[in-house]
Amino acid sequence: MTKLLIATALLTLAACGGGGDQTNATLNQANASGAEATAAVENAVVNTADTPLERQQAVALMRKRHEGYEQIGKAMRAAKQGIDRNDPAAVKSAADRIATLAPQAIGWFPAGTGPEAGKTGAKAEIWQQRAEFDRGMQAFQGAARNFQEAAASGDIARMKTAQANLGKTCGSCHDRFRTKDD
Amino acid sequence: MTEGEAADVTAADAALAVPVWDLPVRLFHWALVALIAASWWSAEYHHTQWHLWSGYLVLFLLLFRTLWGFVGSSTARFASFVRGPRGVFDYLRKKGWTRIGHTPLGALSVVALLALTAAQVGFGLILVDEDGEWAGPLNKFVDFDTGELAHTIHEALFNVLLGFIILHVAAILYYRLRGKHLLRAMVRGTATLPAGTEPLVRAKPIRLLLALLVAGAVTLWIVFGAPPFRP
Repeated sequence: MTKLLIATALLTLAACGGGGDQTNATLNQANASGAEATAAVENAVVNTADTPLERQQAVALMRKRHEGYEQIGKAMRAAKQGIDRNDPAAVKSAADRIATLAPQAIGWFPAGTGPEAGKTGAKAEIWQQRAEFDRGMQAFQGAARNFQEAAASGDIARMKTAQANLGKTCGSCHDRFRTKDD
Repeated sequence: MTEGEAADVTAADAALAVPVWDLPVRLFHWALVALIAASWWSAEYHHTQWHLWSGYLVLFLLLFRTLWGFVGSSTARFASFVRGPRGVFDYLRKKGWTRIGHTPLGALSVVALLALTAAQVGFGLILVDEDGEWAGPLNKFVDFDTGELAHTIHEALFNVLLGFIILHVAAILYYRLRGKHLLRAMVRGTATLPAGTEPLVRAKPIRLLLALLVAGAVTLWIVFGAPPFRP
C-alpha cells in the first residue's frame, strides 16, 4: 500500500510540470497594452508620478523601455547565433539594430519610472547611483559602436570578440541595476 | 571495507554483506549529485562559464551511464531493472523482494531522474540566454523561438527535477526507517542480504574503458558544435 502511495506521488509530481514563469505572462500583458500609451510620452518629461496623468505617462514610458530592451535582447541573440553559424550578414543587421537602439536607452530612465511607479525590472539603485548608471550607459553605447564596426568588417573572429565584450557590458549593468529574471 | 559490517553480519545470522553496486555506478551517482548542485549554484550566481562546464560533465556522465546500462555490471544494466507496468504492479502486490539492484518501483525513479536530467541537458544545449551573451553549442541548429522556448523550459524543468530528487531522498529515508540501508549501499557498494542472494556480476575493465572513451568522445563532439554538420 505504501509503495502504491509513493507511485501515486511520483505521477502527481510529473503532472504539475509547467510551474515556473509568471514573469513572462506579466510582461506580455504589459506589452499588449503598451503601444497606444507610448505615443503620449514622446514629448512629455516625466519627473514625478504624483498626478494620474503623470502616472500614466510613467507607465507608458516603462512599456516603451521594456519593448526597447526586448528588441536589443533579440538582436543580441540573433547576433550570437549569426556568429555561431558563420553568417556575417545576419550579424551585421543585428549589430546595426543594436547600435541604433543603444543611444536611446539612456533616455528610458527618467526619475519616476522606477519600482515605485509599477512593475519593472529596473532597480531603485539606478536613480540612487545615477552617475554610475550613466557611465554604464556610455560603456554600452561604446561597445555597441565597436560591435557595429566589427560587424561591418566581415571578420567573424573580430565580431565574436566585440559581441562578447558587448554582452559583458550588458551583464555588468544588469547584475547591478536589474532585478533577476527581468 | 567490510570490517564495520562484520558485526552486522554475525548478528543477522545467515545474512551476508554482498556487493550490489560496482564502483562506476557509485561514482556516477555521487558525481551527478555534486554536478547538479554545482549547476544550480553556478546558474543562480551567474557563473555562466562554470555552468556550461558543469553541464558538459553531466552530459558526459549521462552518456557513460547509458552505455554502462547496456555493457556494464549486472545491476547497472537497464535490462536487469527496467520493468513494464505489470512488473511494477506484481512487485507492489507481492512481498519478499530479495534480489539485488533496483526494484521495479525504484527503477521508475531511476528512469525518471535520468530522463529529466537528460532533458535538462538537451534544452541547455540548444538554448540562448536573454542577453545573447551565452548560447548552448547546438543553439545554431535551432530557430530563434526554439532557443527562447528552450531557455524557459530549462528554467522551469529544474524545479520538476528538484521535486523528483526530493521524492528520491524521501523514499530512501522511508526505507531507512524500515531497516534498509540504501545510502550505505550506494556508498560502500555492498548490502547485507540473506545468503544465497544472486550475486553482482561485474563487467570487465575493458568495457569500462570503452564506455568512458565513447562517452568522452561524443561529449567533446557535442561541445564543439557537432562538426562537420552546419545549420
